[in-house]
Amino acid sequence: MATHTTSAKTSSAGGFFDALGSFYRQRWLLKYFIQRQVTRSYKRSYLGFAWAFLGPLIWVFFLSLIFSKVVGIRFRIVEGDPTLNFGLFLYCGLLPFLAFSESLNKGINSIKGNAGLVQKVVFPLELLPFTNAITSLIDKFFGLGALLIILLVLEHRWHWTVLLLPLLVVLQLLFILGLTYLMAVIGTYVPDVAEVMRPVIRGMFFATPILWPTGKLPENLAWIVNYNPLAYLVESYRALILYGELPGAQATLYFALFAAAVFVLGFTVFVRLRPGFADQL
Amino acid sequence: MPAVSLEGIGKKYRISSSRSSLLKEALSFGKVKRSHDLWALQDIDLQVRPGTTLGIMGRNGAGKSTLLRIISGVLQPTTGTVEVNGRLTAIFGLGSGFNPEFTGRENVMLNGLILGIDHKEMLERFDEIAAFAEIGEFMDQPIRTYSSGMRSRLGFAVAVNVDPDILVLDEALSAGDAAFKKKALQRMYDLRDSGTTVLFVSHSMGMVQKFCTDAILLHKGRMVTAGSPEEVADRYKELLENAQQKDNRAGGADRGLDDMLEREEEEDLEGVGSRNGSAKRTRRSAKEAEIQGVQVLDEGVKPVSEVPSGSTVTVRVHARYATAVEDSSLGITLRSKKAGVDVFSTDTEAEQTPLGPRAAGEEATVDFAFELPLQAGTYTIDAAILSEEEDLDRAEQVASFKVVRVGSERYVGSLVHLPTKVEIHGPDGGQASPSRSA
Repeated sequence: MATHTTSAKTSSAGGFFDALGSFYRQRWLLKYFIQRQVTRSYKRSYLGFAWAFLGPLIWVFFLSLIFSKVVGIRFRIVEGDPTLNFGLFLYCGLLPFLAFSESLNKGINSIKGNAGLVQKVVFPLELLPFTNAITSLIDKFFGLGALLIILLVLEHRWHWTVLLLPLLVVLQLLFILGLTYLMAVIGTYVPDVAEVMRPVIRGMFFATPILWPTGKLPENLAWIVNYNPLAYLVESYRALILYGELPGAQATLYFALFAAAVFVLGFTVFVRLRPGFADQL
Repeated sequence: MPAVSLEGIGKKYRISSSRSSLLKEALSFGKVKRSHDLWALQDIDLQVRPGTTLGIMGRNGAGKSTLLRIISGVLQPTTGTVEVNGRLTAIFGLGSGFNPEFTGRENVMLNGLILGIDHKEMLERFDEIAAFAEIGEFMDQPIRTYSSGMRSRLGFAVAVNVDPDILVLDEALSAGDAAFKKKALQRMYDLRDSGTTVLFVSHSMGMVQKFCTDAILLHKGRMVTAGSPEEVADRYKELLENAQQKDNRAGGADRGLDDMLEREEEEDLEGVGSRNGSAKRTRRSAKEAEIQGVQVLDEGVKPVSEVPSGSTVTVRVHARYATAVEDSSLGITLRSKKAGVDVFSTDTEAEQTPLGPRAAGEEATVDFAFELPLQAGTYTIDAAILSEEEDLDRAEQVASFKVVRVGSERYVGSLVHLPTKVEIHGPDGGQASPSRSA
């Protein structure tokens, strides 16, 4: 922010790439912000940051313990894999969904909740939704670590395809980022939509094959999975982690294109409307 | 190249009771009018040269903060262009952006980065900031354990220690205790003297007159005057006076303008003129002599802060000589806060009471006793030790006191009040009962 010129007529040519560049220029600020959000909830506890890992570990342990017998038996017949633990199946699907829902829910509030930064300092606002998206992903990394440990200890199954997960995460990040930016704008300009989005996001949980296997779906409802980008993420996570399979090439291509488009759209809208945020609070 | 250049700046707000009334208006296609436009700023043209200290004055709601926010880039103008050349640091409220769970150290880094300072630069400046804030070992404690004073000290320390080219302050000095205010003010003088452009909002005319090289006056979103702080302060006074008259006519609060000005001056003084302190000291690094304190005493030799007009006061100056000084004199200057002029000045030489040679480590106490035929108001005292060639030490506004007079509720625009005898003669030439004022 060395020298700046502000005009009533905002020229947005190059605004997109300029804003992208600010992620590099502000990398330290970004680092502090992410650090601050990741560690915030653990700051006051005795074990501190260890809970980021211990929490999911306890959770996945209980899930696998509870569901190994009760729900598991009938489920295994449906899914056709008699050795699969339903708890692990559930948790593996939960990870990408939680990253998605947490990021969006926080994103809706990311401008309003930081009124101090919006109104009192000249702050690169594009960092705020970015921080939300990254933080919720980082949070899930610890969950992933817990899942992998339980998989090794209880099930003795590890697949080399896990190594491809980072590539999937990049696409996932683009997808979540784009939506989070959109949510941030909507939550600022039309607060009512935020009230609609929360139940919608919660509803997505049931419309995504997290609790139920894809095979159970009637033919005429197949579109719920086929046109649901979240379903792609959930299925691909399971394929790479649990089954040692690769996600379908065509579906991956579509998802990649979709994620990139969502990101460009969300980020552009955000950058365009950003100058007016301070007036909305 | 100007540091800040504004052309035709305007800022419009749409005022409505709620968002739902805006929706009703939109749905009725203009049949229902539930909002109105408010121009918070209009037609502002302003060029600020580098090194200028610009005071922005105006009543509440005049658009001062909006203007500063537009200059710093937080708000977008509705019309016009803003150009800023140089690193700009803006403070709207101290310590905004501090996170209570994080340590002072972490928050300093974060705050600096938010203000746009490079990470490396921040690491280099850290010690300086820590020293200025005087947080001590608390630096590595979470901010939630800090007192509010510590918090604002830290906020101010970050903001002024990052060497901005342009510093934008919105009433930022209203926080903190007297000692901190003094230090903060000193720091602002330093910044000003080192060529930083300072844009500064204040209600206090005294503060603006003392600190600023230029000033502008905003009224209802428009720039009414621009010029020297004295001129602008005069216009501001007029404006307040008018508003006051309007208020009185409307049967509003019956508070004299004098009171109003006085109150502002007092607020202003809190930060500056406590006893034994100094706001602005121009000293050489190796002091040969030092003004240690100044007291104002009444006729009974008791320290006072209020004296009746026409009474005798004693100004007692304590000085200490660090080295042997062959010959020196000690002087005081009385200054009217309201008028902004020196009223009276004298020194030991002029009063033919030479101090004579003084040894190293010797202390001297000098009493100046004089009558005060002055108008009611606040007065400050500067003290100085002078040798033949130069000032050995000078302490400005080192003490202050108030002159009160019966009947002073009315504003009378003059400096002195000479003892007056008023006689009223009837139309027949006979004498009515004489009355004596004061």
